[in-house]
Amino acid sequence: MSSTSQKHRNFVAEPMADKPVTALAGIGDVLGGRLEEKGFDKAYVVLGQFLVLKKDEELFLDWMKEACGANSKQAKDCANCLKEWCDSFL
Amino acid sequence: MASAQLTDEELFSELKRLGFIPGPVTENTRPVYLKKLKKLREENLEQQRGGSRQSKAQSKTRSAALNNNSSSPSGASSRPAGSRPARPGRKSAVLGFSSDESDAEAPQKRKGLNHGAKANKAPGLSPSPNARLSPQISSNTSLSDTGNVRKSGGGNPTFPSPRSVSLNWGSRAKSSAAEADGVNDESGEEEDCDAGQGELKSRSLNGSRTSHLGALKTRPTGDYSDSDEEEGVGGNGKPGLPKEQPRRALHRGPYAYKELGPGGTDMVSPRRDELELGPKRRDPIGANKPGHNFTRNYSENHGGEADTNNHVSGREAKDGGVYSYTNSGLRSRFSAYSSVSPQIYRGTYSNHSRGPTPRRPGPDDELLQQFKREGETASSARFSAHYLSMCLLTAACLFFLTLGFMYLRMRGASEDVAVWRHPFGSEFDEAYNETEKALVLNLFVKLHEYLAVVAGDYDCGNQQNRSRSVPIEEVEEYLQTQNEKFRSFLLVSLEWVVRTGQDVGIRLLGAESSEPLSDVSEIVRLESTHPRMPFTCRFRRAFFNVISKVLLLAAVVGGVWGLVFYVKFRWRREEEDTRRMYDMVERIIDVLRSHSEACQENQELQPYLPIPHVRDSLVQPQDRNKMKKVWDRAVKFLSANESRIRTETQRIGGSDFLVWRWLQPSLGDKNIPPSKVWQGKAFPLDRRNSPPNSLTPCLKIRNMFDPVMEVGENWDLAIHEAILEKCSDNNGIVHIAVDKNSREGCVYVKCLSAEHSGKAFKALHGSWFDGKLVTVKYLRLDRYHQRFPQAQSCTAPLHSARLHSASTCPS
Repeated sequence: MSSTSQKHRNFVAEPMADKPVTALAGIGDVLGGRLEEKGFDKAYVVLGQFLVLKKDEELFLDWMKEACGANSKQAKDCANCLKEWCDSFL
Repeated sequence: MASAQLTDEELFSELKRLGFIPGPVTENTRPVYLKKLKKLREENLEQQRGGSRQSKAQSKTRSAALNNNSSSPSGASSRPAGSRPARPGRKSAVLGFSSDESDAEAPQKRKGLNHGAKANKAPGLSPSPNARLSPQISSNTSLSDTGNVRKSGGGNPTFPSPRSVSLNWGSRAKSSAAEADGVNDESGEEEDCDAGQGELKSRSLNGSRTSHLGALKTRPTGDYSDSDEEEGVGGNGKPGLPKEQPRRALHRGPYAYKELGPGGTDMVSPRRDELELGPKRRDPIGANKPGHNFTRNYSENHGGEADTNNHVSGREAKDGGVYSYTNSGLRSRFSAYSSVSPQIYRGTYSNHSRGPTPRRPGPDDELLQQFKREGETASSARFSAHYLSMCLLTAACLFFLTLGFMYLRMRGASEDVAVWRHPFGSEFDEAYNETEKALVLNLFVKLHEYLAVVAGDYDCGNQQNRSRSVPIEEVEEYLQTQNEKFRSFLLVSLEWVVRTGQDVGIRLLGAESSEPLSDVSEIVRLESTHPRMPFTCRFRRAFFNVISKVLLLAAVVGGVWGLVFYVKFRWRREEEDTRRMYDMVERIIDVLRSHSEACQENQELQPYLPIPHVRDSLVQPQDRNKMKKVWDRAVKFLSANESRIRTETQRIGGSDFLVWRWLQPSLGDKNIPPSKVWQGKAFPLDRRNSPPNSLTPCLKIRNMFDPVMEVGENWDLAIHEAILEKCSDNNGIVHIAVDKNSREGCVYVKCLSAEHSGKAFKALHGSWFDGKLVTVKYLRLDRYHQRFPQAQSCTAPLHSARLHSASTCPS
């Protein structure tokens, strides 16, 4: 548990079910709103995008930046969160 | 690159052709893959051209575009931003750079540190650059580096870094006029020479390079140009062979120098070859070449050619610092370094005006080399300093020894000279003629010596003579042996001695030694007041004297110190005891409290605990003797200061025990378990996390309880109560059903209308209840009725029983 946030730990601890996209680590209100406007209203949709990019972190980071204007830290947190979730549940 | 016309399939195939297996190209992933394609194409170009000027130009243009795009208020912001991702982004350009990746690993950490250092200090400089920095840092794709960034974000940069970073900013801003990367590179580097911040330099190098070069192409986002520039740099070093790099750098060298103008000597450029490369390149080069780089630098810097380039001057400053250190032999390491850094800063500032500055080779290795060299010189300097101090010490010792010897000699020396200057006055001179005077004085001298020897012998412990003084008869005999004529003069001279009141070294004693003599006839014994002792005796006496005094002093000091120590020891012991006592008190309280809680649940236990039982349960048997004092103090403390515990006497099993009773503070209302409470909202409800309008009058509330954890019979009623309480202002809840078996802790609520359910939704969704985050969903009315048919007929609103119970619906 090097430096994961509480949000990260919460998300990775259980199947995401219907959690909103703001439940992802690194995604707060603002970014969540932007993602929802683009149609990514649930965390699993973002997961879908992550999987479509073949779980490539770099591509996912690029996409995040483009889609919602996340900075590198936020995108990285989100990517780590999703990756860990995939490792546990996928 | 007409990427706009590429269809998805074409994009897909292009990527595959370049060796990258993409995922599906959808409308969402299309822009991402476009970027990737461009990156890969750039890489290809770099590889094909071997990172020559063109690619550099391309990268420069692209990175310049980055600069333009960023439109930073100060050029500084974009430049370091551009530079910073340069290094980490490198990992993204995976193709063909395997040889460099390993090199990148180690320094990346340190560079990450510098990243963090820079990131840390950037806010101090201006907020906007920082803000811009962070998005551009995001172009980092390598995990380790950003991890480092994050890590180092929390770390503390070393002391030069604030200055260095600020100077970086400032220098970059200043050097915007200069059209060459070299300036900023070197300035950036020189500033960060200390504390292993070579990476910072490298990054600044990149950044400056990107910022300064003309923009030809605009980039959609900064990241891509960063990576492009990164790629360009990487392409430069792609072959990874040190041999090639000089050649390449040589190309770039003249190119850069052309713009820089003065200072590009041939001597410099070969050195620059190794130096002027992408950050990644620097490491292998640095690994190979720091040795002779250093030697060359040193040799050059000894010449003190500060004019040519910043690198030299900066190096010279460093070397100067080192050399001054060795020369003086006394400067400490810190002073050397501190002197070096300001010199370097000065050097960098001066270099801005001067022009080009070569870059330092492989910062890490270079610095290591530098440290090693400085270590060597420092150690030699240290040795000389050590020897010097030793010499001084011995000299001081010798000096004092000679002083002591001289003193001793003075003390016991004969006063031949003094005797000649006799204290008898002018009468003596007139009374006798020369020969007689000489005779008399000789007599005196002999007498004096004789007496001195006798006294010395006596004092030194050779108890040959019975006393210190010599009877006058023996004196006469002695003088007789010395000189015949002395005899006649003896009495006369003694009379002179009596006449003079001064001390001539001879004391005349009468029969009663305490009385002062007035007449010669009364003289019985003679004694010397200036005993002459043999040297060893003198030395021995002096030595003993000194030693005894020193011992006395040491004894006094030791006594005082021992006293202080003892006092401190005692004080510490007392503190320790008190702490242990408090610790024991706390443990007792915990035990009692847990026991009382257990008693509440299990009514068979007695609500009090005997004191000895508590002690035996808390203290191990082998410690009981040791902890006895602590325990007693704890008991006393509890009886005096703890109000929640009462000491009383109870009869247990036929014998009286002193027991403690825990006085539980009253809980109040026992109907509702106190644990089920609403604890506030987790997030504000707004458009994003709740539907804009309530959809149905039925709600499904999740995570309100955990079915396996619930105890008691009426906990579902408690849940009802809780919900009604929370929505106490909402007069429209007509039916509540707790699904006792649901794993998720679901509660179903039906309201009078959608509006009411919307209100309830707002009140409940996202709140904390009993430590769990409650979420609410809308349910379709028909399904709700399917599930709870009895709810169809409920129309009357429910109210909280606590507040005031109203009618319930007939079920």
